[in-house]
Parts: sequence; C-alpha cells; structure tokens
Amino acid sequence: MWKEIGDREAGKLRPKSFASRIKSNRIRTLQLSNHKDIVSPHRGSINSLQVDLTEGRYLLSGASDASAAVYDVQRATDYEAGGLIAKHKCIFVVDKQHESGHKYAISSAIWYPVDTGLFITGSYDHHINVWDTNTTQVVMNFKMPGKVYRTAMSSLATSHMLIAAGTEDVQVRLCDIASGAFAHTLSGHRDGVMTVEWSTSSEWVLVTGGCDGAIRFWDIRRAGCFLVLDQSHSQLGRRPQILECSATNKVLTSKSLSAGQSSYTKPRTQQRKVAGGNGTKQSLVGRRQRLHPGMLSSQDRATAHYGAVNGLKVTEDGMYLLSAGSDSRLRLWDIESGCNTLVNYETVRLQTSKPIQLATTQDSDLVFVPCMTAVKAFDVWSGKTSLTFRGHYEYVNCCWFSTQDQELYTGGNDRQILLWLPSRLIADEADEGPAQDQDNWSD
Amino acid sequence: MEEEREEGGKVRALIEKATNSTAPEVDPRLLKAIKSVVRYSDRELRLAAQTLMDLMKRDHSQVRYLTLLIIDELFMRSKLFRTILVENLDLLLSLSVGFRRNLPLPAPPAVASVLRSKAIEFLEKWNSSFGIHYRQLRLGFDYLKNTLKFQFPNLQAHAARIQQERRERERRSKELLLKKFEMLKENFSSIKEEIKSTIDEIRECLDIVCAKDEFMPLGPIDDEDFEEFRSSELLQIRLNTLREGQKVHENNDNKVVFDALRELYKLLVTKHLVSVQEGISVLVRVEVADNRVRDSTLKELIDIRNCLQSVKKKCEESGCAVPNTTSCDDEEEDFWEEGKIGSLENERSTVPNNQNENLSMALASIELKNRTLESNNRGSNDNELPSLEGGETGTNSLRNKLLADAPMMSWGYFLNNWGSNREVLANQRGLELESHWGRVDYDAVIPAEKIAELNVHSTLYKEEQTEIQPCRAPLRKGGLCQRRDLRVCPFHGRIIPRDDEGKPLNHNSSKDEITLDSGTDLVEQVAKQAVKNVRERDKEVLKKREIDKRSLKRAKLAKIREHNDVVLRDAALASTSSSAAIGEDMEATNGEKLSARNKKETLSSMLRKKVTPKDRLAQRLLNTQVKDATVRELTLGEDSNYREAFPNQW
Repeated sequence: MWKEIGDREAGKLRPKSFASRIKSNRIRTLQLSNHKDIVSPHRGSINSLQVDLTEGRYLLSGASDASAAVYDVQRATDYEAGGLIAKHKCIFVVDKQHESGHKYAISSAIWYPVDTGLFITGSYDHHINVWDTNTTQVVMNFKMPGKVYRTAMSSLATSHMLIAAGTEDVQVRLCDIASGAFAHTLSGHRDGVMTVEWSTSSEWVLVTGGCDGAIRFWDIRRAGCFLVLDQSHSQLGRRPQILECSATNKVLTSKSLSAGQSSYTKPRTQQRKVAGGNGTKQSLVGRRQRLHPGMLSSQDRATAHYGAVNGLKVTEDGMYLLSAGSDSRLRLWDIESGCNTLVNYETVRLQTSKPIQLATTQDSDLVFVPCMTAVKAFDVWSGKTSLTFRGHYEYVNCCWFSTQDQELYTGGNDRQILLWLPSRLIADEADEGPAQDQDNWSD
Repeated sequence: MEEEREEGGKVRALIEKATNSTAPEVDPRLLKAIKSVVRYSDRELRLAAQTLMDLMKRDHSQVRYLTLLIIDELFMRSKLFRTILVENLDLLLSLSVGFRRNLPLPAPPAVASVLRSKAIEFLEKWNSSFGIHYRQLRLGFDYLKNTLKFQFPNLQAHAARIQQERRERERRSKELLLKKFEMLKENFSSIKEEIKSTIDEIRECLDIVCAKDEFMPLGPIDDEDFEEFRSSELLQIRLNTLREGQKVHENNDNKVVFDALRELYKLLVTKHLVSVQEGISVLVRVEVADNRVRDSTLKELIDIRNCLQSVKKKCEESGCAVPNTTSCDDEEEDFWEEGKIGSLENERSTVPNNQNENLSMALASIELKNRTLESNNRGSNDNELPSLEGGETGTNSLRNKLLADAPMMSWGYFLNNWGSNREVLANQRGLELESHWGRVDYDAVIPAEKIAELNVHSTLYKEEQTEIQPCRAPLRKGGLCQRRDLRVCPFHGRIIPRDDEGKPLNHNSSKDEITLDSGTDLVEQVAKQAVKNVRERDKEVLKKREIDKRSLKRAKLAKIREHNDVVLRDAALASTSSSAAIGEDMEATNGEKLSARNKKETLSSMLRKKVTPKDRLAQRLLNTQVKDATVRELTLGEDSNYREAFPNQW
C-alpha cells in the first residue's frame, strides 16, 4: 500500500488506477465484521437489501415477515462490550402492524434512486407500496395480478419514474409513480417473472428473467421484446476481445496492456459513454427491428437457463449481464451481441425456489453470488472463486455491495443481516475491549 | 524439513490416537502431549485444526465427541486456533450439534446425544468468553438459541444467580447481626444489672446454706476403715456415702432457701447464660466500623459468662439445684426404663429422677471428689451407673440370655399347658354325657404321657424366606435395576453388592466373601493358586492369539482352545460358588486385565446395534410360527365361545 502511495506521489500512478487498486485491495480482505453489527428486527428471512444510491448511508431491508426496515450504516445507535461493538439498530420498521403495511412477505424493497425520500416495497400480497421515508406512510399503492417477486427502478432514468415489477403473472408491468397507473404491460414470458433489472446504460432498456428460463430485453418505447438470450448462442471466439474491453474499464488491474491497444479501445468506450448508450441502442434496435413484431418463433422460444432465471445483474458499465438460474449456473452475457460468453463459474449450488440478489463491484471484476449458505465472490472474467463468505446458518437470499465503502451486506433465511468489511489495517490494541483475546496456555 | 514433516505427523498421529478410543474422556496424557506439541508451533496448530475438522466429519459420534473435547481444550487456549476455527464454525456446529436435517449426528445414539449437549455447552462457554472478539461465535450462539430454540445450559447465568443469592443472604444476615448488635448495645447495661442482681442473690443463698453447714461433721472420720475394703468400687461407694453425709440436705428448715436457690439457678441457666452466649456469638460475628466498643463489650460479656458459670457450678456443687432441669418434672418412671439405664442404650433415661435423688447426690459428690470441672455430669453418669446398679442388670442379662436361647414357636393351644405333666381327668371337661349308655367313669384319667403325645407339636418345614437382593445396577435412564435374581441378572451380569449409586463395592464384597470362609484358609489358597494358573494360561492364550491373528483357521482353533480354557477354569474354580467369586474379584481388582467382552469394545463395536431384551423377545414372539399359532388359538377360542353361546346352531 505504501508503495502505491509513493507511486501516486511520484505521479507514476493515475488517480483512478490508484483508487481502484486500493479498492481492490480492500475488497480482497473482506471479512465478517466484528465491530459493526446490524441488528435485524425481522422475524423472517431477509429477501432484499439495498443501500441508498445517493448517500450510501441508509440500508433498506425487506423481509418475509412483511416488514421493511431502514438502518443508518454510518452512525451506530449504541455500543456494546465497552464500545467495542457498534450496534446499528433500525431507524424505523414498517410491518404488519402498520395500517397500510403488507400482509405477506416483502420480496423486494428498493430505494427511489433519486433520493432517500421514497422507497418501494413489493410483496407476496400482490401489492407494491411506495412509501414516504420521512412519514413512513404509503403514498402510492399498486395492485398487481399476482405475487410480486421483484421490483426495479432505473438509476439512470431522467424522463420516467417507472417501477418495473416481476410477478407471478406472465406479464411484466411498469408502474408509473408520477401517475399512479400502469404505464406498460409487457407480455412475452410464458411463466412468472422472477427478476427484473434496468439496464445501466440506457434508461429505456429493461431486462427480465422468468420462470420459463428466458431472459428478455425490452425497449419500453416500443412494443414487445427485442432480444431473447439463448444459452446455445455463444461466442467463445470473441472472448479475448471482451477481456480487453473490460480491461480498459478496469484500467490496468491485472493484465498489462500494450499502450496501443488501450489507446485504440479507450476512445471507443468513451464515445459510447458520451452517447449515453443511446447510440448503441439505436443500432441494436435498428438491427432487430426487422425481427421484432413477430420475432422468429425459434428465437422467441430461446432459453437462457434450464429452469427459472432467478437472478440478474447488469454490470456497472452496462455491457454485460450476469444471470443466475435454478440450474445452478451463473452465466455472463455480452449484451451487445446477446451471446453467452461461456464463462464457467464455480458455483456449486444455487437456491432455486427464490429470486436471489447478486452484486458486482464497481469495476465489475467480482460478482457476489449467494450460494446456499455462503456468499461467493467470483472473478467475472475467469469464473474462479476468489472469496467465500461463510457466516449465515441458512440460505442467503440477497447481497448488496456498497461500492463507496467497499462493504458487503448479506441477508439470509436466518434473519441476520451480516456486514463484511475490509479488515482493518492497524489492529488497535487500545480497543481490544475488556477481555483480551490472547493465548492462554496453562501448561 | 524432513524433521518438520515428521513433527507434522506427530500431532496428527497424537490426535488420531486420542480420538480412537471408546472412553468418555480424552486420555489426559495424550491431551497434554497434543497441547505441548501445538503450543510451540503455529504450523502444528494449523495442522491440528485441519485434522480435527477432518475428524469431526467422521461418521462416528464417539470420534466426533472426543474430537470436540480436544477442540475445546485448544479453543480455550490458542488465539490462532480460534481464528482458524471460527471460519468454519457453522460446519463445526452442524457436525457437533447436528442441527441440519440433512446432516444428523451419526451412529451410536447415546454418544450422539452426549455430543450434542456437550457441543451446546461448549458453544455457550466460548461465546461467553470470546464472543466479543468473534462475530461468528455470537452468530452461531444466537442462531442456535433464538432461531432453533436450543436449550442452553446457561451455566454462567446460573452460577451468577447462585452467587447473587448467596450475597443477598449474607447481606441480610449481616444486617440482622447489626440490628442485634445495636439492641445488645442498648440493653447491655440493664442485662448486666439483672445478671448481677441474680448472682448476688444466689451468693447470698449459698452463704446461708453454707453457714448452716458449718456445724456439720466434716472430713472422713474413719480413715482406717478404708483398708478393709478390697474393691475400689466398694471403696468408692463408701466414699460417696461419706461425702453425702457431709452434704447439706434439704429439710424443713432450709427448704425455702433451697427453693429460692433452685429458682434462681433456673433463671440463671435458662435466661442469663443463654442471653450472654447469644450476645457473645453476635459480637464475634458482627462487623462494625468501630471495633473498640465491640471488643470491650465482648470482654465484659466473657467475664460475665465465666462468672455465671462459676456460680452455676457452685450451685450444682451445693446440691441444691439439679444439674439437668429437663428431668425435674417426670416423677413416675417405671422399672423397665431403669433397666435400660443399665444397658447404657438410652442416654435420656440415664438422667436420674427425683425418686432417687440420693443417687444424683451421690453422683454430684463423686464429681466433687474427682474435681472434674465439667458442669454437666453426664459423662461420669455413664461410667458410674452400671456399677451402682449391677444387681438389676444381672437379672436382666439372665432373662435376656434365656430369651435369646428360647425357640420361636407359633401360637397354639398346646402352649396352655406347656411343660406341665399333670394328668388330666378325662370326663370332667364340661361335656354332658348323661344320655350316654353305659357307665361313665368320672375318674378316668388321661396319663401325662398321653397328653404329651396328643400335644406333640408338629412343625412343617418351612423354607426360610431369604430376600432376594435386587440387582441395583445403574440404569441408563436413571435409577437402579430392581430385578431380583438369585445370582446373575440377565441384563447386568453377576449380582454384586452395590452402593446407593449402583457402583459396585468390590473391595467389600471380596472382603466379605473372604471373611465368610475365613476359617478355611486352605480353600482360599487353593483358589488363589488356581486363579494364578488360569491367569498364566490366559496370558499364553493372548500371546498365541496375537501370533495367530492372521490365519483364520488358527484363530478358530485358538477360540476353541480359549473356550476349553474357560471351561477348565470354571471347572477349577467351580468347587464353590464363592471361590469362583474370589477369582473374579481378584481379576477385577487387578485392573489391567479387562474381561474379554470389554477388550473387544472398539469404535466399530459401538456402532453395532446392541441386541436388547426387547429384540430378543420380539424375535421370539413375532416370528411367523408363533404368530400363526397365536392366531389359530385365538380363532379356536372364539369358535368355542360362539358354540357355547349358541349351542343350537350348527
């Protein structure tokens, strides 16, 4: 670390690469935090976790006992064991006792991406509630045709306030907070929709994964879906290029790239960034427009997983999509080509019956996946397990990675929210607490 | 490097050796060895942790149990070991507690339950001592406690509660003492006054009595007579009587004084002495800030007590007061109790009553003479009484002896004329024989022999009902086996004397049996010799078996030989049952030699299902033949019932 600081001082390292090095170092040392506890008030399994996107300070959790709670992860409410253990109790909790609370399990709780004044909960009682955080009152209520599995809002959106909801029903509905009505009904799936995710490159593109094993891409400005991912449609040949592309984003993390290559690729990506993804989408849509209205039936029936798709995550740069299925596979898709990149992740088993929430690091070189009772961090590009987090005693449902602080939050069926922090660089002797943790050999 | 690898093998081997046993504890020497190896090398410690985790995965609860014990030992000691272990705490817990449904604890269920309870106990202990440093421990504890609702023994809290209670109690008693102390301080002067006045009164009374005594004849007049008495007892009696003579006797003149004295004495003993004692004990136990007051008061109290005691003694010596106030009022005592005094059994009745007041006087004088400073003369009482009442005890002992000799008879009419050899008139028994034809001889006599013949008492031999001792072996679910068998309990083997917890009293039993035939030293020696021989033969067999272990045929042969040996040994020892018992006892006390059954107990044998009596019964009762027979019988019975109920139907 000191060497890096020295390099930075000498100007050998660029600020961004310095930051990313520090971050990746910190991520490598993630471990169960002993000094920071989140006290879960839930009496059911935690289904959803999210730290707000604006401040990175408030954690929202939704649980099976129809309760949702908000915690301040930066300021502890009280301390235990002589100030050694910081306890973060929830700031408030809304549960069944609340007059407009949910009746059944909350499957999804998300923040309004623009500020922390609103949050949205979707529940198995067929309702989606929009809550005012400050008054903890329901400000809007959407009645869905079936159990709500997942809700999502686009973090990029500037022109719409749509909640995409995946439900038991085959249709994906977009609920407009502005009007309080359903804006769209997207039909195409042949079974319930387990998971929905907005693209991180375009505010109009929505990705949904259903119990029928299909992952569909929707452009909400048009009718119907424009892309169905096919697991057999792979692109092993283009992988080296993918790696390079990603490497440019990661900026010299592991592989040393020749200057020429980087100089060649960088402008391209930057230009794409400037275009806000719209340009690429134009071309995508343009290419597929021919197929679109009545997409070839063979393509329409393509599946991304055997069994249900229960987890989706678009990488931060919006170029890749990670999907988890009940076939215990994790797949990496190149969004641009719609191909399976055939990365083999070393997942052993994944939960099959519930939607799971994946998380990626900012430079998308690690993906955190709940694998039964553990959470594993895989290298996105090679599929190798780089870290394993064991701490839960039952299945883990969700994880959230706070890129700002490099903290990992995981929630599981054992009703615990665990916090994984980078290990402290300097183990303070002073705050060892009342009882020293030392060797104690009697003989 | 080579050496290190060897070292690495060492801890692994040690752990494996320690866990490969059927004992309920880890061998302490092995444990110590493991600890000492692991203590000086982190590498070893890592290896040990790895090995232990591997062992926890074994499909045998006994192995897991012993492993867990070792883990606990290391966990409480090494920080590194803790950090290694908490990483996989969920696995460890699921392997030791078995809370995952798909990972239940393996086979011997008895050990498995012990394992579970031990694991829970350990987790609690770990959590209480290291919980703050390891989130994983807290999580595991919390999960088992709050989610799975396991019952933790809660030792810590329990101990704390007990401590708290004890402190509370102490505090309360201290308060009480303090209160008493305050009371005492307040009342001290008045008490002192009272006591003083009482003592003064007693002194005056005594003075009066003694003044009257002055003109009584003093001292032994006839010293020369003593030589005539040979026996010291008689001498003593004589002396006593002489002393008694000197004593002031209660008579009409000084009755009032004596009464007053007695009253005062009673007051002294029952009230003042007790209160002073109490005060002393309070002062000794109380803790106050100001010690001076306490000490001075204590000193005074002790002085007062000494004074009181001396006065009391004086009173008793003066003979006016009966030393023991309790027996003053029971005037009537019958002769039999008197007899018991002689037998020294009942101490309460040794207290002399007023009827023999002179006796008590005598005793008091004896004491006076011996200058024993004891205020209570019970001790001397016990020693002296038998000699004083020798005659009574003599007759009693004769009767007792006869009673002991007398046979036990069941009651019958023949007891009416037991031992009489009178002749009996035959026709004067109140029978009306008027209408009887013929002559009636009213003087007809049945001779005594005839009577005796008629009254011959026949007894049937009744088998002596010996109580069959219950087996009393400890049962697994608690309690003792109540089966009564003559010699061998089918479940617990030979019936041996056991203590209240069911542990065999080996030494006693062997001693008993030896004493039983202690007279026959020869038999014992022969038996010992036989046992020795047999043991030597056993050793040979063992050796042989070790050699022949591989070849199956030979093993079989050895088995036959062993069987033969066993038979031979039985034959050698079977002269008496008790001699057989001697052999076994000696073998048991030898200790090193376990019986053949125990020797075979290994980890795999623990897994084998034990054939319980229930199984045996089931095998007997539930096989098809028996079932068929039962069904047949039942149907037959039903048929016959039916036919009886409806005999006219065919």
